[in-house]
Amino acid sequence: MYGATSGPAAPQVTGTLLSGSRFTLAQDRGHVVVLNFWGSWCTPCRAEAPLLSRLARHFTPRGVRFLGVDIRDSPATAEAFQRDFAISYPSLNDPGDEIALGFRDTVPPAGIPTTLVIGRSGRITARVIGQVSYPGLRGLITQALAQPA
Amino acid sequence: MTEVRAPAPPGPPGEAGRAPPEAPGRSPGRRRPATRGPFGKLEWARWGWRQLTSMRTALILLFLLALGSVPGSVLPQQGINPQAVEQYYAAHPALAPWLARFSLFNVFAAPWFAAIYLLLFLSLAGCVVPRTFRLAGSARQQPPRAPGNLSRLPLSTGMASPLAPGAALSTASALLAAKRYRVRTGDGWVSAEKGYLREAGNLLFHLALLALLAAVGMGGLFGYKADRLLVAGQSFGNTVTALDQFRPGRLVSAADLQPFSIALSSFSARYVSAGPEMGQPASFNAYLSYQAEPGAAARHYDLRVNHPLNVDNVKVYLIGHGYAPVFKVTDGTGRVVFNGPVPFIPVSLNGLTSEGVVKVPDARPQQLGFAGVFLPTTVDVGGKLQSAFPAPYRPAVSLVSYAGNLGMNGGASQSVYQLDTAGLHRLPVKPRPLAPGQSIKLPGGVGTLTFTGYRQWISLAITYDPGQLPALIAAIAALAGLLLSFLVRRRRVFVRAAPAAGGSAVEFGGLARTESSETFGAEFADLSAELSAALAGAGERGPHGSAGRSPHSGAGGRRPHGTVLDGITPAGTAPTAHAALVPSPDCAARTTAPPHASDSPASSELPSIPDERE
Repeated sequence: MYGATSGPAAPQVTGTLLSGSRFTLAQDRGHVVVLNFWGSWCTPCRAEAPLLSRLARHFTPRGVRFLGVDIRDSPATAEAFQRDFAISYPSLNDPGDEIALGFRDTVPPAGIPTTLVIGRSGRITARVIGQVSYPGLRGLITQALAQPA
Repeated sequence: MTEVRAPAPPGPPGEAGRAPPEAPGRSPGRRRPATRGPFGKLEWARWGWRQLTSMRTALILLFLLALGSVPGSVLPQQGINPQAVEQYYAAHPALAPWLARFSLFNVFAAPWFAAIYLLLFLSLAGCVVPRTFRLAGSARQQPPRAPGNLSRLPLSTGMASPLAPGAALSTASALLAAKRYRVRTGDGWVSAEKGYLREAGNLLFHLALLALLAAVGMGGLFGYKADRLLVAGQSFGNTVTALDQFRPGRLVSAADLQPFSIALSSFSARYVSAGPEMGQPASFNAYLSYQAEPGAAARHYDLRVNHPLNVDNVKVYLIGHGYAPVFKVTDGTGRVVFNGPVPFIPVSLNGLTSEGVVKVPDARPQQLGFAGVFLPTTVDVGGKLQSAFPAPYRPAVSLVSYAGNLGMNGGASQSVYQLDTAGLHRLPVKPRPLAPGQSIKLPGGVGTLTFTGYRQWISLAITYDPGQLPALIAAIAALAGLLLSFLVRRRRVFVRAAPAAGGSAVEFGGLARTESSETFGAEFADLSAELSAALAGAGERGPHGSAGRSPHSGAGGRRPHGTVLDGITPAGTAPTAHAALVPSPDCAARTTAPPHASDSPASSELPSIPDERE
């Protein structure tokens, strides 16, 4: 957990979505962003995927953006995962770990899965290493929403 | 360090309870006065500390450290080869849990090993640091006063000089100073000492030993080891999420990893194709391109076994290689749910027969799993498929197909190389090997698998050890210090000049430790030759030699000769002088000098060189 103004600033995250289009994290500035590092081969990621899907459906109408970063998966496998768990939010493919490396100076992902909550100001407010719990992540997102931009 | 000095007078009876001052750790000859109070906590602590910092304890701990490393070399270790540990468990089901209780599968991280290591460090530090101050003090010490009777020293000569005593002494001290002795002058005498480098060497050895331990400890705390399997065409960055195995030191966190990234462009292996070694690997070449950090220029490197890549102080080694067949799986709904290489692990070294599994957990309507072998050069030996040669001349894949529940959604960890068939049922597919391009159509409309091709993979070992270079430097310094302390000897020479007819009578004596007496004898002979030449001036040249205890008869030109030597002439006679000057403590007493004062207690009169025994 980090404070709204004291947490490290999230780095520039750019990548290719699974759909093929380019994406930059900066375009979500002003919104709370939940960044989840996952892989279809990773069993805790599969266990938390339904929770993330529910949370996304709950919070997206309130302006929270969810984003996934897919590690060590081919695009076909990743799309199958998203279909399987009805994941409505997009994911970036990160085969060369560039996005993970981008976080090295701030809050590096220390394992798979890792979930980061980035506040409206662009600062990282929380990091969860390992499988998230529904009430836990919901609480972190609510706190981030309550903080000013 | 034991100093030879007169025994301390016994304290008055009323001093019970006061510990007499003594050098730490070693004074077996000293006994406390009989009347002593009970041994309090402070005394126990002091006794404990003295025992800990004694050399005996340090040697025992060193021996224990070596002994403790033996199981680390003999038994498979968790951090290096977990599969071998599991095999050991399987092979010795009763013994293995007991070994694990004593951390014998993880020796170098075991608490008892750390305890030995820490105690050794404490012992050395507790011994070396006070010694440092003492040695520094003794290195600055002035030479002692010259003894009254120089002829009682093991090596001594007398000579006459036309110079006045004062001039003779200043000539002598100038000569000795020119020879880099440390000189101290007094009333009628000059005392000089050389060989302080020995203290420095001793000091350097101890400090370097401490530095070596610290460097190894630092490497263990701040270093890390990691593994990564990389398929040709893939790349990875040095983050915790990208590494297959990550074994950090205690103070290493995810943010401390150097941010390089490596891409494998291609891998080629050559094998011996004829002769008795057919099938053995001849060479491996992994063509990498790497960046030291994101945004840096990409460089190329040809990684070979024993030629590691050095990027940002991290070493990347090529450990092994294998094949990764590429599969495309279409599920029951007709969509492509899997498309990519799957690393297969070699199980036989001869033909590189490799085993692996393909898990397709997002296939609908049922999850799919496949397990089988990849054969680089497929041959049919009596109905059984084998691989005859490690190069992919006739690659084929033979798989068993499963459908059902892979058990991946529950969150429990699974190895990506193993299939948990508990929730799966085997599909009835006719077994036949697939050549590249061929497919299996699964029954029941659950999907299709196509073997589209194959790629090669390499396994990399990434190690970062910041203590390696400091440890090397410390080891070299320790060796240098040891050599210095063995080769350089402390030696003292004294000059006394008394007025005599025709100038002055000069006495010249020397003292060294008994082990170095051979070399010092030659040096002393040279020195006295030079001294007599310097003092001779224009007068008579009359150096007389007298080794041993001839009585000092004061005034007069010639003095009685000792039996050992009849005169030192410059140069020339050095060998015989050397042979004759080999002293032994009794030699001086057994000359034909009149038997008087034959048993002077040498230790209390002669300024012996402090014994540097530990």
